[in-house]
Amino acid sequence: MSDIQHTNTVAAASAKLVVDSVTKRFSLGKGREVQAIADASFIVDENEICTILGSSGCGKSTILRMMAGLERPTTGELRLDGSVITGPDKERGMVFQAYTSFDWLTVRGNVEYGMRINGVPKPERRARTQKFIDLVNLGGFEDAYPSQLSGGMKQRVAIARTLANDPALLLMDEPFGALDAETRWHMQELLVGIAETANTTMVMVTHDIEEAIYLGDKIVFMSSHPGRVHKIIVPEFKQGKRYKSKEEVIGLDGYGVLEKEIMRMMQEQGANDER
Amino acid sequence: MTNSSNRAAPTPWFQLRKPVSSKQSILSAIFIWALFFAVWEGVSLAGLVNDLLVPAPHTVLTTLVDMLVNRGLVSDILISVWRVVFSFSIACAVAIPLGVAMGAFPAIEAVFNPFVSAWRYLPAPSFIPILLMWFGTGETPKLVLLVIGVVFFLITIIMDHTREVRTELVETGLTLGGKRWTIVRTIILPAVLPHVLTAMRQMLAVTWTYLVIAEIVASTTGVGAMMMRARRFLHTDEIMAGIIVIGVLGLCFDILFRRAHRWFFPYIQDRRN
Repeated sequence: MSDIQHTNTVAAASAKLVVDSVTKRFSLGKGREVQAIADASFIVDENEICTILGSSGCGKSTILRMMAGLERPTTGELRLDGSVITGPDKERGMVFQAYTSFDWLTVRGNVEYGMRINGVPKPERRARTQKFIDLVNLGGFEDAYPSQLSGGMKQRVAIARTLANDPALLLMDEPFGALDAETRWHMQELLVGIAETANTTMVMVTHDIEEAIYLGDKIVFMSSHPGRVHKIIVPEFKQGKRYKSKEEVIGLDGYGVLEKEIMRMMQEQGANDER
Repeated sequence: MTNSSNRAAPTPWFQLRKPVSSKQSILSAIFIWALFFAVWEGVSLAGLVNDLLVPAPHTVLTTLVDMLVNRGLVSDILISVWRVVFSFSIACAVAIPLGVAMGAFPAIEAVFNPFVSAWRYLPAPSFIPILLMWFGTGETPKLVLLVIGVVFFLITIIMDHTREVRTELVETGLTLGGKRWTIVRTIILPAVLPHVLTAMRQMLAVTWTYLVIAEIVASTTGVGAMMMRARRFLHTDEIMAGIIVIGVLGLCFDILFRRAHRWFFPYIQDRRN
């Protein structure tokens, strides 16, 4: 399997984000604990799209939440541009699976929210708001309220709102998980376009193999109970390119091979869990 | 009816879980009240009830108009409304900031909740004797009673709604760079405000209840006091006129709050509460 390379060491000078020997235990009360993440180390490079793939219970969302600063690792640390992550910050914006539109604000109000609370002057704010509304194809809906939008549009608002705030890192926790198959497909293609324009480093958690391969410049495959990084996969068959068309990627020779390989790993995981 | 493809056509105003038109809902409301007064009038005309205890509706309405025009009922109504509005405003001014702060910060809840939830179980009228001793018979004891009667419920309801503001919204605010109080002000408060207004609407009805109690027990002015005076002279028509006034006032405030809800929260669609 030439597509798959093992990486357990944390190094690399180009690293934007470093996850360094992270473990996480949650207390269940009465002295009982559950180990959510046994050991996780990997890096995400500047402007990379990194997908974290794994079945439920592998701790992938927990890792993402630690990147956001919403959880703290029990041991180990996460570093962005060399500084240790200790809490949430506008440098690390997060998009959730659940809709998080602010219902009382219009699309424009939602997108400019982050800039408003961070004191970005109004002219600049207005211009950036329009830029990111257009980027997610919501031009014409500036004055609509979220309750008037479809699920896919709400997620586009959330993505625009996060990007307009100019984060160093865009974190997404199964952002398209609640959408129907067709909308999800469109959103994935849209996200590739956004990555091109916005030049942001992205980390996306997913349990959808297709999504992980199509979007990921790098795929962190996690195994569960307790969660650990099983393999770091660079889909070499894409030759370092990003494709606007998902169909094109699925049609490439290497795609099927990698998909089968990942499915086999997932099934092994499932079998291990049964035991 | 055998034609199954045409099922919606008959009785469109009587369908399972289909909202009714506004015309139909107004007609329905008029219907039930007309029926009520018709039965009452009929029972009175037929002589089935003692006229002294249950005067006919037309007698009550005549009395009501007479009291409004000639006997100063308007000033009693204004005093009652003022008491309700003033004391309810004080209760809201305390309950909204405190309830939101308690719902947003468990540390604040930990301090106030043991206090608030204990007071909630004390019936407000049980304070009447001590309030009369402390404040005499002026306006103060009545206003205090009304405040005590609703403020603790209001705090608890607002706290509960604030707690239910979804965590993802708060975490979104955090990852957009919001500080604690910024998030309370710009996310938690706007998210909970529609529920606060609904809670206010419901608790205002409770304030009316305590108002009548306060005015019956210790007052010479207001609609409740007027009704107690009428009882002394066996003027059942005046008592019933008072009941109607209180009912209509309550209804007016309810409509006012519904209007305000639609006015302040235009983004909430199709929610009839």
